Amino acid sequence: MQQNAQPSGSPTLTSVPAISTANLTRRFGELVAVNDVNLRVAPGQFFGFLGPNGAGKSTTIKMLTGLLAPTSGRIEILGLDFAERTSEVKRQIGVVPEGLALFGRLTGAEYLTFVGRMYGLDRETTAKRSAELLEFMQLANEPGKLVTDYSHGMQKKLALAAAVIHGPKILFLDEPFEGVDAIAAGTLKSMLQRMIARGATIFLTSHVLEIVERLCSHVAIIDRGVLVAQGSLEELRAGVEAQAPGTLEAEPGRKLTLEEIFLHTVGGVRSTELELSWLG
Amino acid sequence: MVGVTASNYSRAQLAAIASVRWQIFLHSLRSKRGAVELFSRIVIGAVITGGGLGGAILLGGLAWYFVSQGNPEALALVLWPVFLFWQMFPLMATALSESIDSTNLLRFPLSYRTYVMVRLVYGALDPATVLGTFWLVGITIGIGWARPGLMPWSFVVLVVFAAVNMMLTQMIFAWVERWLGQRRTREIFAVLFFLAMISLQLIGPMLSRYGDRSNAAFHWAGRFANPIQAILPPGIAAGAVASKAVSHTALAFGLLGALVLYAAVILRILSVRLHAQFRGENLSEVVGRGKDEVSRPGVRLAWKMPGLSQEAAAVVEKEFRYLSRSGPVLLTFVTPIVMLFVFGLGGRTGSGAGFLQNWPELGLPVGAAYALLLLTNLIYNNFGPDAGGIQFFLVSPASFRSVMLGKNVAHMGVLAVELVSLWIGVSLLFRPPTATAVLITLSGLLFAAPVNLAAGNLLSLYSPKKTEFGTFGRQRASQTTVLASFAIQGLVFVVAAVTLLTARHYQRQWLAVAAFFMLATLAFGVYFFVLTRVDRLAGRRREILTTALCK
Repeated sequence: MQQNAQPSGSPTLTSVPAISTANLTRRFGELVAVNDVNLRVAPGQFFGFLGPNGAGKSTTIKMLTGLLAPTSGRIEILGLDFAERTSEVKRQIGVVPEGLALFGRLTGAEYLTFVGRMYGLDRETTAKRSAELLEFMQLANEPGKLVTDYSHGMQKKLALAAAVIHGPKILFLDEPFEGVDAIAAGTLKSMLQRMIARGATIFLTSHVLEIVERLCSHVAIIDRGVLVAQGSLEELRAGVEAQAPGTLEAEPGRKLTLEEIFLHTVGGVRSTELELSWLG
Repeated sequence: MVGVTASNYSRAQLAAIASVRWQIFLHSLRSKRGAVELFSRIVIGAVITGGGLGGAILLGGLAWYFVSQGNPEALALVLWPVFLFWQMFPLMATALSESIDSTNLLRFPLSYRTYVMVRLVYGALDPATVLGTFWLVGITIGIGWARPGLMPWSFVVLVVFAAVNMMLTQMIFAWVERWLGQRRTREIFAVLFFLAMISLQLIGPMLSRYGDRSNAAFHWAGRFANPIQAILPPGIAAGAVASKAVSHTALAFGLLGALVLYAAVILRILSVRLHAQFRGENLSEVVGRGKDEVSRPGVRLAWKMPGLSQEAAAVVEKEFRYLSRSGPVLLTFVTPIVMLFVFGLGGRTGSGAGFLQNWPELGLPVGAAYALLLLTNLIYNNFGPDAGGIQFFLVSPASFRSVMLGKNVAHMGVLAVELVSLWIGVSLLFRPPTATAVLITLSGLLFAAPVNLAAGNLLSLYSPKKTEFGTFGRQRASQTTVLASFAIQGLVFVVAAVTLLTARHYQRQWLAVAAFFMLATLAFGVYFFVLTRVDRLAGRRREILTTALCK
């Protein structure tokens, strides 16, 4: 398995990375949640950040978005030091955090208007973009509904709309597809692909490996706070096959899936063989 | 289900809930903030216990006096204050009310009976119940001291009386929450509320016109109030004890039965609300379309607020939208006006008049001080209603300075509206406040408001607590915040009192205005000093903010 493999031949390698971290570490008392993580995400990449539960994904994304201070290490966004130029960095990024960061007692339109103004858009632009986003996300039908009364899928769509209203260069998404139905997921994917098409970088964490495999060009895997793999899907696949030839059984001509790569990388074991006394 | 029997099901659930709350309490002590919270809780607990013991001795003494003088029916005079305090205090001091969102428990297979038990038990853990219980114990001891044979009966009657009080408080909260939860019922409630206030105000002129001017209140009490109070819980409880004292056992049992009937009816009415909540009722509402500037359907242009940064203006707009959708908060804002009505009760002048009838010049300053006091619920926990929205403030490029400024401006806007309403209220009910009273009030607020805002901004970052604007009561602030706010209010009150008394001593009221302006300059200096530091502070405390508000 290659450690922190870089995407070979990528033309963006020579440019300033969209996201880079150097020895990023976060401790909670004795627990080292994120340990010496060195990430490098090139501009324009659709980057999936994976890991088992409790591996440090959310802690990492929280540090990358300013929700949590690192214990040590350095974060650069578009070449800007996050600690030094916080406000400038925040203007360039959009975030859909784990808790969605919504204001429940506003309507969807009011929330988007509020967010637009907080990101410095003028009143007319804010109103225009809010209306377009509500239409695109299919949230315009119930303009009087409070956010707190939205379904989970609607809240996710609204949170994504808020994250892109100012046209960020980088989008951070923490589990954007969790608890979202197929229709809402389709809308979210459509929006994300548009963002990528216009040159934005997307950094997402997700447990839904099929979606990550379909959307992301590059992936990093974190396990117990340590970055154990990083690169394009092909690089990760090649790394796994080179490290353990013949141990993974893929039919001839079929490529290893991301799930297989993931399970092999983090040493996951399915618990189907174990018994539960009270279930028989 | 194997291992679970119906008979021990509810008991096991109640024990599990108590156990989990105990574990949450223990875990909270692991952090420094938890330890400070515990300390604050102990201090506040000591104050409440002091008030409870003091009141118990006083009321117990009165009960002893009435019974030993052979006048046990006068026990109503000690039971009514207990009753009124028990019902009014939770409305006036929502920050001290117990907070438990029992709706979270609904995902478990809880029986309705267990749910009601949980609501009743945890709803009873508030200062009003603690103090009321202390006082009733004092009254029971007082009665027993005077006539030991009467003590067991008094104990039974007062236990039922306590149950009536506990359930009535919760019933009022639950129904007011329901009425304030939706626009239409909120409007009906507001109209009824104001009609009630106006009716109260009519009592004064009636007393002046029909009563003996020197003893109007007593005459009125004798003619109208006594028969009415006798059929209400405090009067019935007093009657039950008094009947037993004169060996009218049948009447005593009858009155006790009436009290039990009250308890049953109150529980039944409360049960209607609890049952709706148990079935997962949602009191949210759809906001009507306004008539303001609309660029596209459903999307209005943001407010323009000259003199404020774009970010601060956005926060002001958001705050006003939040406040306007919270019936409970709006009701809180009406309370200072209610106070004018209540303290204006009685005849126009003389001993039967309310204190504001005799000193109308105090109406504006006292009302303004009370309005500011009520606002501290919001000021000292700025981010509580935002809950998970705090994450947005942390990831957005807007500075916390702008966010805080926006919130402070919104809250001061509310205070300004309150002041104008109070001025109108005082003018209509008594007479227009003098220019001096207005100046003293304004200059005093210019001193008190920035002190409170500065302290509130700091406490909002140091001791945040998630609150829900849609629910009435059950919104306990952090105990650290409550303690600190008491200390700051005490300080402001002492400084203001010294200033006013000094000016009065020299008979130069302008002295108070000048002194308040000087103090205001100092207070604004402190306020802006704090404001320049909130960004750094919020950055250092972002983890605590998200942990406390995103739960």
